[in-house]
Amino acid sequence: MIDVAAFFSAIEMLFSSASPWLIVIPGILIGLVFGAIPGLQISMAMAVFLPMTLYMDFMQAMLFLTAIFTGGSFGGSIPAILMNIPGTSSAIATAFDGYPMSQKGEHNVALGLALGASCTGVIVGYSILFLLINPISELVLKVGPAEMTIVILWGITLIGSLSSGSLLKGVISGLIGLLIGTIGYSEAGVTRGTFGSPYLLDGVSVIPAMIGMFAASELFRQANREYLVDDSAARKVSVRLILSGFRKALANPGIVLRGSLIGVFVGAVPGVGSSVANLLSYVVTKRNAMNPDSFGKGNPAGVIASESANSTSEAGSMATLLALGIPGGGATAVILAAFAMHNITGGPQFIREQTDVVYAIIIANFGQAILLIGLGLILIPLLANVIKVPMTYLVPSVLAMAVFGAFGLTGDLSGPLTVLVFSVLGWVFKRYGYSVPAAVIGVLLGGMAEDSVIYSYQISGGQWSYLLERPMALTILALLVVSLFGSKLVDVLMRRIRR
Amino acid sequence: MPRRPKTINKHRLADLFVLLLLAGLAASYCLDAVRASTDILNLILVLPVTVIVLVLCLIQLVLSVARLRSESTAQEPVTDMLPVISVFAAYVFSLRWVGFDVGTCLFIGVFLWLHGERRWGWLFGYSISFALALSMFFSKMLPYSMPMLILRTAS
Repeated sequence: MIDVAAFFSAIEMLFSSASPWLIVIPGILIGLVFGAIPGLQISMAMAVFLPMTLYMDFMQAMLFLTAIFTGGSFGGSIPAILMNIPGTSSAIATAFDGYPMSQKGEHNVALGLALGASCTGVIVGYSILFLLINPISELVLKVGPAEMTIVILWGITLIGSLSSGSLLKGVISGLIGLLIGTIGYSEAGVTRGTFGSPYLLDGVSVIPAMIGMFAASELFRQANREYLVDDSAARKVSVRLILSGFRKALANPGIVLRGSLIGVFVGAVPGVGSSVANLLSYVVTKRNAMNPDSFGKGNPAGVIASESANSTSEAGSMATLLALGIPGGGATAVILAAFAMHNITGGPQFIREQTDVVYAIIIANFGQAILLIGLGLILIPLLANVIKVPMTYLVPSVLAMAVFGAFGLTGDLSGPLTVLVFSVLGWVFKRYGYSVPAAVIGVLLGGMAEDSVIYSYQISGGQWSYLLERPMALTILALLVVSLFGSKLVDVLMRRIRR
Repeated sequence: MPRRPKTINKHRLADLFVLLLLAGLAASYCLDAVRASTDILNLILVLPVTVIVLVLCLIQLVLSVARLRSESTAQEPVTDMLPVISVFAAYVFSLRWVGFDVGTCLFIGVFLWLHGERRWGWLFGYSISFALALSMFFSKMLPYSMPMLILRTAS
């Protein structure tokens, strides 16, 4: 399974001189900064710095771009934890428990947990990729729209479990979000639900909507508080506590491994990526926890589950890119552009003929994860000082940043308007017990769900028997049923056995 | 046995209104989709999801009506939130005319003043410097032009 000669050639390629590593540190720093600023996406950072790779050789270019990817994957968790603004869509679930931890004065531990889970996630993810790159690429080819529909159905049915209040309101929120996610042009070539607004022709912008529902609505509620953390002693930034959080992440290998596996396999499916992986990992961890009610209120396991999956999905999307030449998302699309700039085509032939380069990219990511630990530990204490800023100053500053970021994402005023509309909606949802996370997940998956249902319908000709010919779809369906009713079924069986 | 309050709880009534609003929005979206096209590709997801939403809203409506007179958990007064939401809305709507630079400066200044900041140095110094720094950073980083009032001529 492993080409030993190519492995040693990769080691030589990476460690014969220091030059490949000189661009890794700036790459991680760029990723950290772009990930930590809401509205500046990792793919945007990679696109901005892509022209620089023209002056590098292919190996250096790959190291530089994947370093931005690695840094950005973790960077997004910083504002998610400190301000309830997921810096990237892949950090949505990090905010679920990270922000409540900050409110309790456990921001240091939460940031350490995120760093620990991200770094170990990258290492585990690339280890899986190193061992299984060929089987993963074959598996990805078997994932069709029917499988995608069931995966999304899985996510939607699990939405109810994310709701801490009424289950019914949780499901209503998720489905309303799903409908919002389908606004705009449909496959039939007509527009729906735009209310005559040209801004909505391409649908609702997901990230500004997410920033509005999560961050702005929460900031409205917090505006009259003095500080984010009431207790002045708890506002301290402590490297010791960050390290204790880091160790805590390592002490939960089960959650990290589960998150990493979800991250690699979900991240490998083109178009799905880290945003779905982190949510799925969070939901699965919550369902399997002894104390599911504590999730959403500052449970460290929630942060570990989310961060281990979103950082690992980088490895998954790289698998698809390297093995099939298909980018899984925006960031890998930029890497594909770098491939083209260096006259290299990804795909089975690339893996077969340049195995040493593929291995070098994988091994370099192990090094990046270790460097991220050091750089993260230096930068986090600086960034965590945001907790000491009075809310009177923090609230308008973050709201303004959200507005700038939203403009940056859409390129017009539809971004800021989306933030405004969804901030009010988020505030109403929170006030009346509807689930904001469920609604956001619905908005995120809406378009994807509709596309998958349509493709499944077109391929099957509307025949349900088509599903029986898809063993992978049936397997995922079985997993869905087990995840929903498995624990109850076991309870019933145990009761009968005891009788 | 605890006595049941005779008056209708205002929060629960507002909750009912929000539920009806959500159901109404879902139904109007679906009707708009049907009006646009009855092609199966257009309605394959929207129609069934809307039907499920309406059924769930109906169940929730029955539950909510039954609880209309019961106590609800304490909520922050809406009047505390309205100034913040109004200032933010005014900021977003004014961006087209006053630009990101001046709009952000005014928004932060007004927000600080509303929340009791009366030190003029801090009020003007922070709102101007933060707005300028943010506007300059984003206008340099983004590949498209941003609406600006002062920085447009400066850059």
